[in-house]
Amino acid sequence: MRIGFPRALYYFDYFPFWAGFFHSLDIELVISPPTHRKIMDQGLKKASDETCLPLKLLAGHIQALENVDYIFLPRMVSIEADTYTCPKFLGIPESVLPAVPEGQSVLTVTLNWRNSKRQVLKDLEVLTEQLGKSKAEIRQAFNKGMEWQKKYQNTMGAEWDFEDSLNKVESASWDFTESNISNAPLTWKERMISKISLIGDKAEKQPHLAVGEKSDRLRIALVGHSYLTHESYANLNLLRKLHEKVDVELVQNVRQEDIEGHLSGLRKKIFWSHSKQIFGAGNKYAEDQRVDGIIYLTCFGCGTDSIIQELVSRKAREKHKPYMLITLDEHSGEAGLVTRLEAFLDMVERRRVHEGYVSTYGECLDSDSNAL
Amino acid sequence: MKVTFPHMGNAWIVIQTLFESLNVEVVVPPFNSKRTLNLGTKLSPESACLPLKLNLGNYIEAANEGADTIVITGGIGPCRFGYYGEVERQILIDSGYNYEVVTLEPPDGSLLGLAKRIRFLAGTKNSWAKILMAMRFAYLKSVALDRVEDLIHAARPRLPNPALTEKLYEKAKEQLVQAMTEKKVKDTVAWVQESIRERQEGLNTESVKPLRIGIIGEIYTILDPFSSVGIEEELGRLGVEVDRSIYLSGWVGSHIFQGLAPGYRSIRSYSKHAKPFLPHFVGGHGIETVGAAVKFAREGYDGIIQVFPLSCMPEIVAASVLPKVQDAYKIPIMTLIVDEHTGHAGIQTRLEAYVDMLERARLLQESIQTREGVLSVGG
Repeated sequence: MRIGFPRALYYFDYFPFWAGFFHSLDIELVISPPTHRKIMDQGLKKASDETCLPLKLLAGHIQALENVDYIFLPRMVSIEADTYTCPKFLGIPESVLPAVPEGQSVLTVTLNWRNSKRQVLKDLEVLTEQLGKSKAEIRQAFNKGMEWQKKYQNTMGAEWDFEDSLNKVESASWDFTESNISNAPLTWKERMISKISLIGDKAEKQPHLAVGEKSDRLRIALVGHSYLTHESYANLNLLRKLHEKVDVELVQNVRQEDIEGHLSGLRKKIFWSHSKQIFGAGNKYAEDQRVDGIIYLTCFGCGTDSIIQELVSRKAREKHKPYMLITLDEHSGEAGLVTRLEAFLDMVERRRVHEGYVSTYGECLDSDSNAL
Repeated sequence: MKVTFPHMGNAWIVIQTLFESLNVEVVVPPFNSKRTLNLGTKLSPESACLPLKLNLGNYIEAANEGADTIVITGGIGPCRFGYYGEVERQILIDSGYNYEVVTLEPPDGSLLGLAKRIRFLAGTKNSWAKILMAMRFAYLKSVALDRVEDLIHAARPRLPNPALTEKLYEKAKEQLVQAMTEKKVKDTVAWVQESIRERQEGLNTESVKPLRIGIIGEIYTILDPFSSVGIEEELGRLGVEVDRSIYLSGWVGSHIFQGLAPGYRSIRSYSKHAKPFLPHFVGGHGIETVGAAVKFAREGYDGIIQVFPLSCMPEIVAASVLPKVQDAYKIPIMTLIVDEHTGHAGIQTRLEAYVDMLERARLLQESIQTREGVLSVGG
């Protein structure tokens, strides 16, 4: 059995879990290729106009999956206690069904960590019938999935590229399991594609500095949803562009304890899991002296970001941290992005040289200006 | 302490009643207007949804009248509304408004915390029994308000002079604002019924079969005529009878009383109707929107209009499911998205075109029937 997994949205955070899950069940997982122009175009055609870019990409990736028995579209309601994912995640698969080619079956399961682990296991058992596996096997697969997810999370994005981290987790798991290569969760073709796309990256890659190490380069924090920061086609290679010039910190680099520790100052807990991470990380970077500036990456129409971005920008302003908001949509132009990026980095650089002794002229032009 | 609250259609009447019967000083903000929206938009995050912008405008206008405490409801999402209280508080503080914000919800699920907040608002003089009585009365008033509103919905296409109908509505609202006994509330509803009956006398109302359109969507925009650019009145003037998926008391019953009171037009059955199309809740009223669409379609409505503020997450999910409902029940569904740039003329044009289309469909049906008759004669 071959199951198609779209390389979009939840792929960028929770793929290790599902990879481990299906690997343990001995089911081949086919991933759609990295986003390219055609995928985006197809997605724009089939997705609802009002929805956000990541969902439009998901619609494109669904159509890019061919020769699979099922397309896997889980409903990830919640991934930890007391939080939800974005409402648009809750509407999957129904809201993206128009993008599924006719005659193609969809495999879906509800994953809700709000209640208890037992509930999650019970929900996963729905799959027994469709996959032809026993409950015990599902249980085992669940454990395997959790193990892989944990391994991935422990890397804390140290490999800096999501695919890289994934490969590492995977190869580590190889030694762990006696399974032979043919059981690979990624197909061979798929592996080759992901390798090829990485070669370019690696050649240019600067020697990576571990967190905390000193360097002359600027240190810029890029905060935002993982499905935007890691989606290199949609964000016009922002991560690589940044990395060529500065050291980059991502939300994934922040330890969970740090995030929890930086949620203070809010009277109400944030109830979206992604947003909680983003706010915690943004808040930490705003306070962190080693970070020279923060870039918030969002996409047009993102509901959770409209609120969280406001909160993060307030924190940055409070701490006098240079801050820029980049809003992506399907019409984003590269030249515009590069210009803004260069201007921002120049500003941060200059600020560092002048240590903030800048003319106060025009400081109070409006209440929102970021007075140094 | 002077309490204020955000506007949402007729909700102010109910909230004012609640606080006045507890002897809490309350400031009703000036009604939503272009000015309110402009004031709010200046302070809001640009991609926030319309209700947040109007809320902030309300608070600023209320602050000018001396309000210092805000009451708003909450919830734990995943709709953005659940986080309004906290964001609004931070924005107002940064803009120099010294507001205390009280979110009426159990903080972290603690009912004791909720009780404390209610106690803070009600002061020490009110007993719990009195608070509960006040809440019950406010609830009864909201049901009465909804009944009046629905009567007006039905009256608009049937009564000859639209201006008089609006006048009747305004007068009824005025009476309800002042009514402080249950009898008075009931009398007002009876009075509206009586006035409509009087005005119908001599009219041949039996032959009038107005088009029926169901209005569904995000609760704030469908309850608040300012943000939906008066869509219900506009449709009424075009000779359409409208009904709505959610009424104020239905929302109060399910949101504030946690389903203990059904309210006018209970929203409970909607998730069952929505099941074949959207089996899981998506926050806000996404599932209610889909369920209501199915219900209206089954009840033989001529059309359905979905209204929501730009970038509303639950409604976007609903909107991407609605084409399936449209296909399954062969009912035209139009989606209207509103934000601070929505113009009256644009909405009016779309409504007229939509109603024209529905009328044509009806005429066409009739003409097909006659032709069948002719052919049957010939053949």
